Amino acid sequence: MANLEEKLTLWYTELKGENFPLVGKKNANLGEMLKAGIPISPGFAITIHANDIFIRESGVKADLEELIANECRETTPENIAKLSQFAMAAIEKAPLPKALEEHILNDYHKLCEICDVTNLPVAVRSSGAVSMPGQMETYLNIRGDKDLIDYIRKCWASSYCVEALTYRINRELGVLFNIGVGIPKMVNSRVSGVIFTINPLNGDPSKISIDASYGLGEAVVSGLVTPDTYLIDKITLDPVKIHKGSKEVECVYRTGSSDIIEQEVDEARRQAQALTPEELRQLCITSKQIEKYYGKAYDIEFGIDADLKFPDNIIILQVRPESIWNKKKAEKKTTEPADAMNMILNQLIKGVKFS
Amino acid sequence: MAKQFLDPHDVPQIEGTEGWERMYPYYYQFSTDDKERNEYESSQLWYYDGLHYPEPHCPFDLIWDEAWYLALSQYNSRIFMVPPAKGIDHRIVNGHVYITPIGIADPKEIESRIPLFMKRAGYYYQNWDKIYGDWVEKTKVLIEELEAVEFKNLPEMEDESVVFEHRGMGSGYDLCVKYDELINMGFKVWQYHFEMLNLGYAAYVTFINTANQFFPDIPMATLTKMVSGIDVVMYRPDSELIKLAKLALELKLESDLNGQTSFAALKQELEGSDAGQKWLAAFEEARYPWFHISTGTGWFHHNKSWNDDLDVPLASIKMHIEALQAGKDPSRPTEKLIEERDRIVEGYLDLFQNADDRKAFEEALGIARKVFPYVENHLFYVEHWFHSVFWNKMRDLSAVLVDGGMINDVEDIWYLNRFDIKVLIDDMVRAWATGIVPAGRNKWPQEIEWRKGVMAKFREWTPPPALGVPPEVVTEPFSIVLWGVTTDVLKRWLSSLDVAGGDVTELFGSPGSSGVVEGKARVIKKVEDLALLQAGEILVAPTTSPSWAPAFTKIAGAITDVGGPMCHAAIVCREYGLPTVVGTGNGTSVIKTGDIIKIDGDSGLVNIIK
Repeated sequence: MANLEEKLTLWYTELKGENFPLVGKKNANLGEMLKAGIPISPGFAITIHANDIFIRESGVKADLEELIANECRETTPENIAKLSQFAMAAIEKAPLPKALEEHILNDYHKLCEICDVTNLPVAVRSSGAVSMPGQMETYLNIRGDKDLIDYIRKCWASSYCVEALTYRINRELGVLFNIGVGIPKMVNSRVSGVIFTINPLNGDPSKISIDASYGLGEAVVSGLVTPDTYLIDKITLDPVKIHKGSKEVECVYRTGSSDIIEQEVDEARRQAQALTPEELRQLCITSKQIEKYYGKAYDIEFGIDADLKFPDNIIILQVRPESIWNKKKAEKKTTEPADAMNMILNQLIKGVKFS
Repeated sequence: MAKQFLDPHDVPQIEGTEGWERMYPYYYQFSTDDKERNEYESSQLWYYDGLHYPEPHCPFDLIWDEAWYLALSQYNSRIFMVPPAKGIDHRIVNGHVYITPIGIADPKEIESRIPLFMKRAGYYYQNWDKIYGDWVEKTKVLIEELEAVEFKNLPEMEDESVVFEHRGMGSGYDLCVKYDELINMGFKVWQYHFEMLNLGYAAYVTFINTANQFFPDIPMATLTKMVSGIDVVMYRPDSELIKLAKLALELKLESDLNGQTSFAALKQELEGSDAGQKWLAAFEEARYPWFHISTGTGWFHHNKSWNDDLDVPLASIKMHIEALQAGKDPSRPTEKLIEERDRIVEGYLDLFQNADDRKAFEEALGIARKVFPYVENHLFYVEHWFHSVFWNKMRDLSAVLVDGGMINDVEDIWYLNRFDIKVLIDDMVRAWATGIVPAGRNKWPQEIEWRKGVMAKFREWTPPPALGVPPEVVTEPFSIVLWGVTTDVLKRWLSSLDVAGGDVTELFGSPGSSGVVEGKARVIKKVEDLALLQAGEILVAPTTSPSWAPAFTKIAGAITDVGGPMCHAAIVCREYGLPTVVGTGNGTSVIKTGDIIKIDGDSGLVNIIK
């Protein structure tokens, strides 16, 4: 087998979590998930190495280095803006090296074949080897060879947006920065949402917390709607609290097009729960599997695919370690010696606090 | 929002009931002439004990309230020296019982009680299983004594054995003594009842609170599954019925059973065949003691037991036969429950990342499991078995009073309190001994008629949920766990004072069993009407006891008027996985059969949709 470092693309099925320096964290995570038996959308990753070949061979790298060495030596906001503008424009218009383009399209056609769809709609997702939450772009519902290549360039370019540049400069990660790109099949989400394998409000490890609303994940992630919230007992999988959100709108693709539109959700669907009890249960089982595999609390994005049947319709879109409670040292809650009589006495003296 | 409830001394009289106070002991009245008591009463929060009493008390029925007023209080305050607690005080207003827990405010006094409590309660916890074993034995002995009590009409002439065996006592005296003994047994069984119950609840509450400390919002259903006993006496009556249903199928008697709604008629039919006789023998064997289960809570004289009306268990056996024929096994899946219990406990223990926390959880779980059989099973011995026998002994006594010309009907006795009856018996035996007419023979029937009118008016009155001044925060464990009186609940009650009349579309209770369900309501006030239930309906009942169990395979959810999250109805519904709200207070009077209702077993909210 050829050296992984030199690969231009890698299928998710070829990846492990430890490969993140090659393809970025998101992509490596997806590979790891497949290994753990977690259902994800099929696809492949364009490596960081491929990004490097692109900016080197297209001359963008040399131009950028010159700009940094001369005009933009000082890291003022003006210079960052200038660098960003230059890099993004250059990347978006530079042609891909022929071998690289062929290689990517070859894999894309293979993916179309696997899913039995011509011009399969895919997502083009940025995947950095360092987490930079929300600072780089992801493009959805991209179809056809030409658009795919265009959006891969846009995705690469997005790692030079002002926010990402500022973030890197502040952390001394360097201006030049290659990223991985993921190309998964688009999930046609009827419902989507976010899962925490703990209660994110208090760190309680015995709960699974799920937010879900209709349509694509954008509506939930960006706070466009009040989603349904489900708090589930992790051990018994019984619902502890269910709060139905208003779910006024949903994000969907405009028919036959790549752009996302918001549309009203009718009253009957607003009143209903977005997830069926079976879907809820299956999501919890999958979430537990994810948590168990990684050995810590996780933050999970999911979609319920409208075209597939339960349970194949449950697709995990993205996973990452939960970022707050994992860092806190699990604090000991008991202060008194754990002796039943003492506990009963304290209970009687302090009274009951829960409602 | 209102800051406090109506002062207990200011509750308006119901017109036409003036003088009702004499129906109950004077110490149940809010005081009028004692300044110190008056001030104390005004400063407390008194809540209506809807958990036990969905209806006003007939004067005699107050006996069980008197019994636990004494027993619970004394075990807390004087026997186990529970550090921060005295007893629970009781009053009666328009026939409805209000209670208030009395705490100890002085930290020094609390401190001084701690070593006493540790020594005394510690002894019970350490020897729990042995003491519980003894408890069952002595309670059974007491029930045997109760069964042996006999009331006979006063004879025209004493039997000659009184002379020749020189007994030295006559029937008049005997009647007085036997009545006293009967009442004393009633109080005694309630002394037993609380011998272990306060400590049992304290341990259980400790477990609930400890689990909540580690796992906030852990469902009560999960906690119950972790401690739930497997050999639970309260499930035994229903499992006897399931056995009888299976036996009927085995003996091919199902069509005989299905053809009859009256047990008497069925019995006549079955006596004609060997198979029938075999089944009847099994039925007879199951009756003692298991059919002493009450169709209600056992707290009221009208709560009949299965033994009082054999048509009730017969109807349930038929429902079980129906389920069995449809391929469903109505038996309690014991092995599955054990497996599930172990799996849940293991799952929770795995969540701990710290050995001290884990140890604390295990300790609390251990003690909760130890006390749980008592907490669940005592109900059968006291409220069901003892009470069912006791009510009938009272009816036997009442027949003697009818014979003596003191009252008109056996069922009239409930309108007299226990002191009235004592005086009445004294009057009767003296008149009998003397050979004249008793002094009260006109007074009591008239008084009873008047009291019946008062009771009818009491039943129409809606008792306010609370009186007096609420505390800032409710922390008293029993109020919270048994009665569901939390700080939030008090706020809700206070805010409801601001709402003027209008149609009720929302009811609140305690979350009984998880889940949300919408459906057609079926209001059933008596277990005899269970046959009216249609599959998929939501049962709306005053309360449910195990004799309602056959209904649970049919319904989509349940609501009860009385009960907290740990009451038996809630526990049973959790086992059947039915969304349940308990303790709504007045669900059976607000909701009508056919209403479309929605119940949320997680929040305790009930919506009447149309």
